[in-house]
Amino acid sequence: MMLRGLGVACCWIVLLAYGGGAVAQSQIVGAPPEASNMRLVGHNDLQARSAYQPTIHHQGERWIAYIGHHGGTDDIPAPVNPQTGKAEPNGTSIVDVTDPAQPKYLRHIPGQEGKYEAGGAQMVRICDGKALPKGDRNAVYMLRTFGGEAHEIWNVADPQNPVLITRIGGLKDTHKNWWECETGIAFLVSGAPDWRTRRMTQVYDLSDPAHPIKIRDFGLPGQEPGATGAVPTELHGPISTGVEGNRVYFGYGTNKGGFLQIVDRDKLLKGPKEPTPDNLSSPEISRLAMSAFNGAHTTFPMKGMPIAEFAKDKDGKTRDILMIVDEAILNECNEPRQMVWFADVTVENRPMMISSYTVPEASGAFCERGGRFGAHSSNESMAPIYYKKMAFIAFFNAGVRALDIRDPYHPREVGYFIPSITEKTDKRCVTIDGKDRCKTAIQTNNVETDERGYIYIVDRANTGLHILELTGDARKAAGLE
Amino acid sequence: MRRRLLIALAVAACTLTGVAAYVGARPAAAGWQEIAWPFPRDGWPAGRAFRCDVGLCGETVELYVRPKVGFCNCDSGVADDDEVDRVADIDLISARFVADRPGSVVQLADMSGRMRNYSLHMPDGSRHAALGLAVSRRCDLVVAAARGGSGARLQQLALDFLGKEDVRRWMTAALDGRWH
Repeated sequence: MMLRGLGVACCWIVLLAYGGGAVAQSQIVGAPPEASNMRLVGHNDLQARSAYQPTIHHQGERWIAYIGHHGGTDDIPAPVNPQTGKAEPNGTSIVDVTDPAQPKYLRHIPGQEGKYEAGGAQMVRICDGKALPKGDRNAVYMLRTFGGEAHEIWNVADPQNPVLITRIGGLKDTHKNWWECETGIAFLVSGAPDWRTRRMTQVYDLSDPAHPIKIRDFGLPGQEPGATGAVPTELHGPISTGVEGNRVYFGYGTNKGGFLQIVDRDKLLKGPKEPTPDNLSSPEISRLAMSAFNGAHTTFPMKGMPIAEFAKDKDGKTRDILMIVDEAILNECNEPRQMVWFADVTVENRPMMISSYTVPEASGAFCERGGRFGAHSSNESMAPIYYKKMAFIAFFNAGVRALDIRDPYHPREVGYFIPSITEKTDKRCVTIDGKDRCKTAIQTNNVETDERGYIYIVDRANTGLHILELTGDARKAAGLE
Repeated sequence: MRRRLLIALAVAACTLTGVAAYVGARPAAAGWQEIAWPFPRDGWPAGRAFRCDVGLCGETVELYVRPKVGFCNCDSGVADDDEVDRVADIDLISARFVADRPGSVVQLADMSGRMRNYSLHMPDGSRHAALGLAVSRRCDLVVAAARGGSGARLQQLALDFLGKEDVRRWMTAALDGRWH
């Protein structure tokens, strides 16, 4: 007993000796944001709803942000929408960000009832009707998930008065879709009820959003209905390079056992559709297996990047690069570090990891701050302003990180922004000796950019939307001055 | 110098108390012997492995159990047999397995989930009976896989072992972060 008492006392000494600095780094309400070469331009609290994916769309003369939400919290399952006075399950926020210093909340479209991952409408993509081959030229279409049970398409041409067009339902899960506006082909991350995995791909022709046409189901051999044996890691999300690039990059796994799958888009769309192991394998070009410690949340392609160091080489001056972002899941570093990886996929059947990036934990005592610390997602806009030059990574309690990726063999952080917490920021807990121990910290979940160069980050812990811009050396690195 | 000494003392004491806590949590079950975790490192930390005496089990039976902290289905838990196929670690024994029949609901250490019997196809061509089991507490899982014997007998042996008070206490401790 005495030994145990001594042990406990000594543990406290260690904690005080090593942890004093960490405790001082905890976020407190009222403290200023932490920033380097990034500046806050505007903010909206998004009705204190937990936010997932933002998509920014240039819509006529306006810039509109569409933001998907997770389900509600234990404390507030359905926050009250001040515009309607009603409690509404988290869904999609529509915000006018034409003036980024004064974002105007336009509309909340409720999502599926449910808490955290179980409800809401986490994902959102936008296509103009005039871009889609068979769309209404006056329409602007929003593809969103409806919890885990459906995908929906809304006409948001009047973003204050969205109209539901289509619903693809009967699913057991959904996640991060990709929609090609030029063709209408959509790679919907779904949970078809008879598949053995929670998430796989349903390829649809949504060129006429009012009349969806299913092309095929797709996944990894072993996930299909009727298969036996080990079930491969579930899908997180794909990104397509369209007709011209003819590739779809699928990311599997979240924080474990992930891999990148490179797929021939044409074969995927036109190949035999019956989900047999052979038919599922035939469009695949290659896979890049990651460590069992990491998953592939985002697989962002950057083809034909000139590499300055290789400029005088007779071959291989440009490289096809893929940025792979893991997702941290557990609070307070209770898992292997989830980070950012760069793969050279120039030789497609021999993809190779070439570099990585993480936020140095000690730079902010992030393992002690509370909530998740690690990567989650990158911006997915391919607008020229940042494409192949800068990448922005949502890093949960380390905010957003700006990376100079012009040399993807040596990515370099050039800026960051960690928003302040507010009274609305939700707590994050870990179990210690059977009891919850909770802390409050920012949880930057996703990031997106627009063609003007603004950077939009949203918070999983209910702190809202922060609109940022680059300053100083980061702005120079991006070629903005 | 004094600070270093204090830290060294504290680290030693923490280690000692940690070891004491671990030893105290080890399950002791007649007929079952703890063995080294036999699988290579994967995405989850290693768990605990046990071998049953032939005297008790009739033939060699092994059982592997570990917590999996960070499970996405926080609300629905282990809701269907596909989930058992995915998470129960049967694939650690062999990637080739076939379920014998639909699984059933199981309750362990105040956690609920499902279990399912399988036939394993081993690389050497042999076949074995196996059991996969997964129970959840909020966003965390405890999973177990067992092999050997026959299906019904294996299920009973595994449930008897996993249902012992000290094993159940260990499961709870493992999910609370008081193990490893």
